[in-house]
Amino acid sequence: MKKNNIISNWLKENGNIETEMLVKRNLAIANKVRNILNDRNLNDGDFAELLEKTRSEVSKWLSGSHNLTQKSIIKMEIALGVKLIYIEQVHKYVYLGKIEGSLKEEAKKYSEGDYKKTMPAYAS
Amino acid sequence: MNGIVSLKHIEDYKKVCYYSVCIKDESEFNDSSESLFEAFIREQEKTENEKLNHILAWVKEIGDQYGAKERFFRHEQNQGEAMGLPPNKIGSEPVYTEDGEISPNNLRLYCHRLNDNVVILFSGGLKTADTPQECPNVKPHFKLANKLTVIIDEAFKNKDIFWVDEFNDIDYSDDLTLYL
Repeated sequence: MKKNNIISNWLKENGNIETEMLVKRNLAIANKVRNILNDRNLNDGDFAELLEKTRSEVSKWLSGSHNLTQKSIIKMEIALGVKLIYIEQVHKYVYLGKIEGSLKEEAKKYSEGDYKKTMPAYAS
Repeated sequence: MNGIVSLKHIEDYKKVCYYSVCIKDESEFNDSSESLFEAFIREQEKTENEKLNHILAWVKEIGDQYGAKERFFRHEQNQGEAMGLPPNKIGSEPVYTEDGEISPNNLRLYCHRLNDNVVILFSGGLKTADTPQECPNVKPHFKLANKLTVIIDEAFKNKDIFWVDEFNDIDYSDDLTLYL
């Protein structure tokens, strides 16, 4: 039996990366919500009640093919008491090092360009 | 519509194998190898490229990551009547006959979900009414999908199509022909 790649070929030639990422995200969120509901023994009807939506609307949301709005996602987060989307924190790193002598002297050496000589281990 | 039906492999993903069907009119002499699904793509890419992209990306993602779980498919029901077919079981195998549809927005693609791992993709169109029976665009596709579902289930019963790979795929003779 011949094996084809009809869908992938079309997506390669005509697909839009934004659409594919949107689909991935919708499905990932829907799947996460479904897992939470299963863990809590809740069905679509129960979830619909929590959201004050109809069951069919909830089923549509969780089908993975529906484009979830931010508002819908937040509604689900509030209803379930969990975060569905995490925004990565930007961390500022502070490096600590040992300075010999007094701080004033070392600051002067640094500003006069002697820092690397003073701290050879850190010279690049 | 009468015709000769054959199965065509569309694509294998990690979790789902997709197939479609080719239909050749008995009165036609040309040997078209374009499946219903390919015809659907060809038709929709002219005017509904974005919606088509969405459907195909969805089909791919289901295939790669999640499997064809029943909850991902919408049942088109008409006031409680089982449209198309009642569920059949062959032995204890999870064979389903459903009016499954994959549908972002209003572009409908009708299919027959056999189990989490095998889906037969048919055709569809833009649904402009509440039910497929009321919509002139999708009604013929919906009716055809229901007929084809019956035929495919019958082929399973007759062991013309059979499960392989522990229900992860199906197999059939290359010259298998079914009749509409």
